[in-house]
Amino acid sequence: MNWSGLFHLGSRYLAGNRTKTILLVSAFTLVWLLPAAITLLAGKVEEHLRSRADETPLVLGRAGSALELTFNALHFTKPEMATLPYREALKVAESGLAQAIPLYARFHAGSHSIVGTTFDYFRFREFDYAEGRAFLRMGECVVGSAVAQANEIGVGDYVISSPETLFDLAGVYPLKMTVCGVLESTGSPDDEAVFVDLKTTWIIEGLGHGHIAAAEAGEDERLETGNENVVRLNASVVEYNEITPETVESFHFHGEEEDNPVSAVIVVPFGAKEQALIKGRYAGVKDLSLVEPAAEMDELFETVFSVQRIVLGMLVLVGLATLALGLLTFLLSYRLRTGEFASLRHMGASPRMLKALIGFEAAFVFALSILLSVVLLWSLLSLAPTLIRLLVG
Amino acid sequence: MIFCRKLEFRYPGESVALSFPEFSVEAGETVALIGPSGCGKTTLLNLISGILVPDEGVIEVGGEQIQSLELAARQSFRLRNIGLVPQNFELLDYLTVRENILLPLRLLDRGRIEKAHENRVEELAEKTGISPLLNKLPSRLSQGERQRAALCRGLVGKPPLILADEPTGNLDTDNQDRIVSLLLEEAGALKSSVIMITHEPSLYGRFDRVENVMSLRMEGGE
Repeated sequence: MNWSGLFHLGSRYLAGNRTKTILLVSAFTLVWLLPAAITLLAGKVEEHLRSRADETPLVLGRAGSALELTFNALHFTKPEMATLPYREALKVAESGLAQAIPLYARFHAGSHSIVGTTFDYFRFREFDYAEGRAFLRMGECVVGSAVAQANEIGVGDYVISSPETLFDLAGVYPLKMTVCGVLESTGSPDDEAVFVDLKTTWIIEGLGHGHIAAAEAGEDERLETGNENVVRLNASVVEYNEITPETVESFHFHGEEEDNPVSAVIVVPFGAKEQALIKGRYAGVKDLSLVEPAAEMDELFETVFSVQRIVLGMLVLVGLATLALGLLTFLLSYRLRTGEFASLRHMGASPRMLKALIGFEAAFVFALSILLSVVLLWSLLSLAPTLIRLLVG
Repeated sequence: MIFCRKLEFRYPGESVALSFPEFSVEAGETVALIGPSGCGKTTLLNLISGILVPDEGVIEVGGEQIQSLELAARQSFRLRNIGLVPQNFELLDYLTVRENILLPLRLLDRGRIEKAHENRVEELAEKTGISPLLNKLPSRLSQGERQRAALCRGLVGKPPLILADEPTGNLDTDNQDRIVSLLLEEAGALKSSVIMITHEPSLYGRFDRVENVMSLRMEGGE
């Protein structure tokens, strides 16, 4: 009995019957890969979501889905969720119990979320700048590292907000924003966001705008009011789509700033006592909801893991069935190869060698499938951040 | 070289036993085994090669009593000392012709294929006219080409004993003649003994001796 002869015969058989070999290796690879990939990816997603949730003590938002509110505040997804007035953020701040960081994550620039916030958010997340500085006025933006990398932009370049619907003339118009800073990578959703001043998001929404002074408007741009002291402008007045140092003064809001919307408010209590007090304060408020992201994640993952257990159980059953079918294939193949084995025996191959040959072929298929699943798993894990972004939004 | 005495063999479930009181072949001698179908020609070859083990009697090949060897030792002995040329070729369909010819050498303990082995394959392929086919799979070969490949495989290890079971059964007259000439020529060069089953009377004269199995055996059993 020699190993080189065994390896030669076995490998030539597997290569000669490559369709069967590929099918078996693929089937076994899936048997190993699927449960491992689900477990590892679920673990990665949990780690990713939990770390972000653990860093964010409380989130205030409109009553509704606590999970959607958490995702909007932490991952800037669910842009369609109900908003609350900025006034609520001011109330939290005025309570003296916690710091309030308003967020308005409704708009996009391409595939990246535009997040309106205050400089407090930068301090809260302890951002470092790879380049540039924080925004100092409306129309400036700070981009996450992934945004800068994906769009090959830096300080001095522009980011243009995406219109919400192309044919909605009364809807959101694109706003050209100047990049004033690029953040260092944090491995969090912040890398994928474009941060602007809260007022900039309100301008994108159309709650504020800038145009030439009414007094300087020509006759074509005025409406007849019958009163020389009252000047009304018609729709031909071109609104600025870029806030520059020259035009910034012309930008204004027509309502109360406190009534403008935010999607969530990150609430950072000053201590445990303050946290208890503020939670109590919002416990009875019907239209608002103060949620604890870590608790939401506990609830989410309790559900996820119970589903995962069921899926894994089913995959184990499918895997056992696949292994049984694989074994059956080898046994049937042994029968089909009776003539071949008889030839080898006649030539002088011992029964032990023939068993070793079958064993080698089975082991080779198993080993190759395990190797392949490890390689695929490794590739999958290296793609985990992208996959998580796709899964989480 | 070969000495068989009082051989008796019964297939499982068969009531009739085959008996061969005495049969011997000298070193370098060539013997044609003839006889009607089912008379026990192939059984005798299988007993001599150790594929079958007799119920009674002694088979001595090259001084070794092979009936008393353990299975593994018997297989090993066959691999080293006997070149088999079966009637139905027994080529493995997933190996090329070259790999099929080299197979007995691969099955040996060391199993390493050396340059000398490769040269031997080239030499045999050249003599049998299958050189251009060495890298093809057996399924691409004609019957005659397969038989020549099987013959090369039987000869590749330069065995002292060559057992051929109707190697010309599927061939036309020209190919029959070519195969037998090569077999006997190689055996002569190696001083190997040859026992070949054949039904072709025109080939009898090429052998040192012709033995009718019917006259060798004695009906036994109940």
